Amino acid sequence: MADKTYLSDIKEIRVDENSPLFDKTGMLYKEFPSDYRQIRYFTLLIVQSAPLEIKEINLLEQQISEVIKNGVKHGNRCEASKKVRVWYSFDSTHAHLIVQDEGEGFKDLEKWNEFNRNRLEILSAQDFEKLSDYVSFRTQKSDDNDGGNALFAALEYWNGGFVFNEARNAVAMLKSFPQKKHAIG
Amino acid sequence: MELKIRKNGNNYIIDVNGEMDLYNSYKLKELVMKMLEKKVERFIINLENVDYIDSSGIGALIYICSTIKKMSLKLIITNIHGSVKKVIELTKLMGYFPITNSIEEAILQMED
Repeated sequence: MADKTYLSDIKEIRVDENSPLFDKTGMLYKEFPSDYRQIRYFTLLIVQSAPLEIKEINLLEQQISEVIKNGVKHGNRCEASKKVRVWYSFDSTHAHLIVQDEGEGFKDLEKWNEFNRNRLEILSAQDFEKLSDYVSFRTQKSDDNDGGNALFAALEYWNGGFVFNEARNAVAMLKSFPQKKHAIG
Repeated sequence: MELKIRKNGNNYIIDVNGEMDLYNSYKLKELVMKMLEKKVERFIINLENVDYIDSSGIGALIYICSTIKKMSLKLIITNIHGSVKKVIELTKLMGYFPITNSIEEAILQMED
């Protein structure tokens, strides 16, 4: 039977330079060389400023690592002289990041949105045979180590938005964490 | 990440220990491909001791799963938990992967 929950809210990667998510006021900043071997280390340097109340810190770390990896590998093509710049702010209610590289920008953004729309339609139809063709987004530059699935999860995880600038070499994202409800009285 | 193989009847259980990330997920892929060359037909991948997976790890599981499906052989992934489960859920692949909650369940399912 078709499962329409997949189609109820098809999210897209947006391009909006004027999104409030690009407002860097009050954010911390670090920059890194495009060294593939150090991606997880760079991520830890960012995540260590997140408060301990944030649950699922592993998941937050993984999601940040994917975005830094995209900047280092797909944006800057691992050219060490090119920097990945990260603005970030965390508290118990949210994680807000902007990651910018010096690459030519995410040219396949529209193709990706179309691929993702098809993927969600196939999931909705529960067609697991056909799904095999939609588990990994590939481009001519993809290699064996590219899972091709990072952005599917990113769009779900960053529930406050996942937005590119006009040049498509910077992405801003926001995650709001669920808050404990306090009993009143 | 450390990989150990043990045998249970005709089933080969691969215990993955550690993090399945961009630096080492290829090792699991390579191991399964070698086992396929040696005509192994039934795989159980045990993720009990994996607390971190990224898109490369998910990609390795997709590659393994689609290769084994194409060859009409058997694969079950088991003991998925915590953030590993979350990442697979976010990627909406819980229905794509053959998953059980325990090795015992996986062994039972292999017999079906």
